Amino acid sequence: MTVESPAGAVPTLRVAIPFTFYRFVVIAVTAAVVLAPLSLVFYQSFLDAPFFQPAARLSLYAYRFVFADEDFWVAFGTTLLLASGMTLIAVPLGAGLAFLMVRTDVPGRNWLEPIILIPIFVSAVVLAFGYVVALGPVGILTTSMRELIGVAPWNLYSFPFLVAIAGLTHVPHVYLYAAAALRGLGSDVEEAARTAGAKPWRVALDVSLPMVLPAILFAAVLVFFLGFELFGLPLVLGDPQGVLVLSTYLFKLTNKLGVPSYQLMAVVVVAIVAITAPLVFVQRLLLREAQRYVSVRGKGVRLAALRLGAWRWAAFAAIALWFVFSVVLPLAGITLRSFVETWGEGIALSEVLTLDHYRELLDYPNVVRSMINTLGIGVIGGAAAVVFYTAIALAVHRWPSQWTRIIDYLVMLPRAMPGLVAGLALLWVFLFFKPITPLRQTLVSVWLAYTVVWLAYGMRLVSGTLLQVAPELEEAGRTTGASETRVKFDVTLPLIRAGMLASWLLIFLIFVREYSTGIYLLGPGTEVIGSLVISLWGTGAIDLVSALSVVNVGMIGIGLLIAIRLGVRLHG
Amino acid sequence: MVELAVTDLALRYGESEILKGVSVTLPAGKVVALLGPSVSGKTTLLRAVAGLETPYRGSIRIGDNVMFDAARKIELPAEARGLGLVFQSYALWPHRTVFENVAYGLKLRRVSAPDIKSRVERTLGQIGLAHLSDRYPHQLSGGQQQRVALARALIYEPAVILLDEPLSNLDAKLREEARAWLRALIVSLKLSALLVTHDQIEAMAIADHITLLNGGLIEQQGTPIDLYREPATLFAAEFMGNNNRLEGTLVENPDNKAVIEVMGDRLQGIARTSAPAGSKGTGIIRLEKVVLGGGPGPNRILMTLKTQMYIGERWELLFTKGELSVRAYTSALLKHERYHVEFPPQALWIF
Repeated sequence: MTVESPAGAVPTLRVAIPFTFYRFVVIAVTAAVVLAPLSLVFYQSFLDAPFFQPAARLSLYAYRFVFADEDFWVAFGTTLLLASGMTLIAVPLGAGLAFLMVRTDVPGRNWLEPIILIPIFVSAVVLAFGYVVALGPVGILTTSMRELIGVAPWNLYSFPFLVAIAGLTHVPHVYLYAAAALRGLGSDVEEAARTAGAKPWRVALDVSLPMVLPAILFAAVLVFFLGFELFGLPLVLGDPQGVLVLSTYLFKLTNKLGVPSYQLMAVVVVAIVAITAPLVFVQRLLLREAQRYVSVRGKGVRLAALRLGAWRWAAFAAIALWFVFSVVLPLAGITLRSFVETWGEGIALSEVLTLDHYRELLDYPNVVRSMINTLGIGVIGGAAAVVFYTAIALAVHRWPSQWTRIIDYLVMLPRAMPGLVAGLALLWVFLFFKPITPLRQTLVSVWLAYTVVWLAYGMRLVSGTLLQVAPELEEAGRTTGASETRVKFDVTLPLIRAGMLASWLLIFLIFVREYSTGIYLLGPGTEVIGSLVISLWGTGAIDLVSALSVVNVGMIGIGLLIAIRLGVRLHG
Repeated sequence: MVELAVTDLALRYGESEILKGVSVTLPAGKVVALLGPSVSGKTTLLRAVAGLETPYRGSIRIGDNVMFDAARKIELPAEARGLGLVFQSYALWPHRTVFENVAYGLKLRRVSAPDIKSRVERTLGQIGLAHLSDRYPHQLSGGQQQRVALARALIYEPAVILLDEPLSNLDAKLREEARAWLRALIVSLKLSALLVTHDQIEAMAIADHITLLNGGLIEQQGTPIDLYREPATLFAAEFMGNNNRLEGTLVENPDNKAVIEVMGDRLQGIARTSAPAGSKGTGIIRLEKVVLGGGPGPNRILMTLKTQMYIGERWELLFTKGELSVRAYTSALLKHERYHVEFPPQALWIF
């Protein structure tokens, strides 16, 4: 038995371009993309006029102005109240929902999960419109109730209502983390408590809850943080009665002084980021803490579901009630509204049904463009974003170097910018750097803003996939004679193809849903459904808004169906 | 001729020293086993040779070429070392067929397609997997995967082949067959191989030389027979084979003939320590060397038979006397309660 070479000696290998070079290029690009908008905002906040005016000078004028504005402090207080309130609602409900779904025999636990996650994927602004057309003063349900009992039993435009809606629509965020933690718990730690003599409820309280507490705490900070990002709900539901939060205050500032008051907006952005950045950092610490318990996960069979007995259907009804209020009601409302000419007291549904609003969509070039653009940014832009995230992830993947920490923090930074803020910052970047200014009127600007805003999320998706590639598979490539670059192309990338496809789908969903990031970039040619409906809402074109919202939900629905069909996990 | 020479290699991960200055040579056409417990640094040493870890001191030569030299700041990347590495997990690329897995090394070396085809087919034929070349790794059994991994590492004729626990993922029965097969293959192909294993039997069976590692240092080097019959240290004596450990006090310790007192009984053995009389000592004897004497005598201790276990070709016995317990083998079931257990002086090492 011999292995011999036909041509004698084996030819030597060629020398490859060092992969390290690529790594540093990627770090530089990422740093530029992340730091440019942030630094520009920071710089602008210390000017006394927009940066493009030659007269702009360094000063603290903008800070003095904003901090002296009573509205700013009111908005700040309202934001705190809103964020705290929604956290108080979402956390117990989300944790309870997770417990019901993971640990009990509540009916439907096998098919409910994707449905529970729907609010994450539906644009908040669409939900807000839905609530207005369903529960608003002249809403479909409100008028029906008024016909029935003579008065409107609720006032949608009240602060408690806003808090409740924000809280209920964020239940899935808490659910995701709590459920994952509950599933990650080894059944052995619970079985140990059972065999030691603890009853199921005691086990839940003494073992399961303490062990998932870090995850719940993480989710609480996340929801609180998302409270500072809220834009669509307060804009639509709070604005009519003059309730301002920081994001809507920022939005209103745009025209406060008649001229673009960039310096004031920059100060508000700095204020928002000063609050959100520490929250992002705390989340990171908490996530590490939460993962500490993952290492103690045991193997073995699932613990038998806790029997709820007669309470099974009560639990199911509670879940259904939540779902009807947070998803069905607003979506049904907006859908119904899109198919009727008008709505009011004493109108029979059969007389007002129409498809006109959908036909009208095609009459407006900007609306047509927004639909095409939304699909394009979801499909093509989503793919490009995944390529970008993969390029970064590959550069730092299994790199034993301190530089990976820098990338970690860089990637985390944009998370501290709410979409509205990031869109504004990117707009300034395009205005400030003259060579790229022409790109502002193209979808490239919107794509870049989306990609930066979702950098942390996308990176988590791609790195999660990369981590599943066993290190030996790459090492085997190296020892066989392939350079680092070659191994990435021949081994790593082919192995993460499925994961990249899944990431693409999720990024598609998010990009199609996105509304706030595109607002400041909105212009002829850069319309996307999300930002266009907000601007149309301001003009009162409710027919168009309803139809366009339904189109948006339809796109997301199709994407979700494909994702579920392909078995994509809906959370990274 | 020396194929691989590792000199004074030292490596650390952060604060912890994994290798503390290790030198190993691999003569051409021989198999050297790196043997040791799980944190001994044996795998790290192998990975350093492969270029997957970076030591901070020492050098690695293959043939006449320097692969690594800390002092001269030479470090060839893994792909330039021309070695073949068989991973413990096999690390077959799941997205490639058996043929493509094996062919990759030749493709990288710009071998023409027809040549690749004929060489891969020949190699797969040699390991008895020619009929599986279009399969994907997950369609193969563990033993077949192991052979593919070997073929992938051998196909481009590396000067040295590195084997990281190549048999540990096989189940016990298959492992013994694979051991014989692997040894036969290495001998017939005249390969120079460096093998990492924690299994002393595997090391003795496959290797010509064994380097026993402990805590990042070499404990003993030699042929399998040297290591088994003449362990130099307590660790080496205990790591090889199945042993009894007798804790006691040194009574006398002249050259090569120590006496240890264990719970009042005096045992003479081969001195492996230079400690003076009165200090603590440890006697080590292989289970199979313990014999049962008919009555009282030198190097015998009267012990109680606690339990007898049937383990197939023989019985394993457990004797105790107070806190002292001793295991031994017999070929037949014993009937009495107490025995004079003998520790032959030429088989008892005293450390």
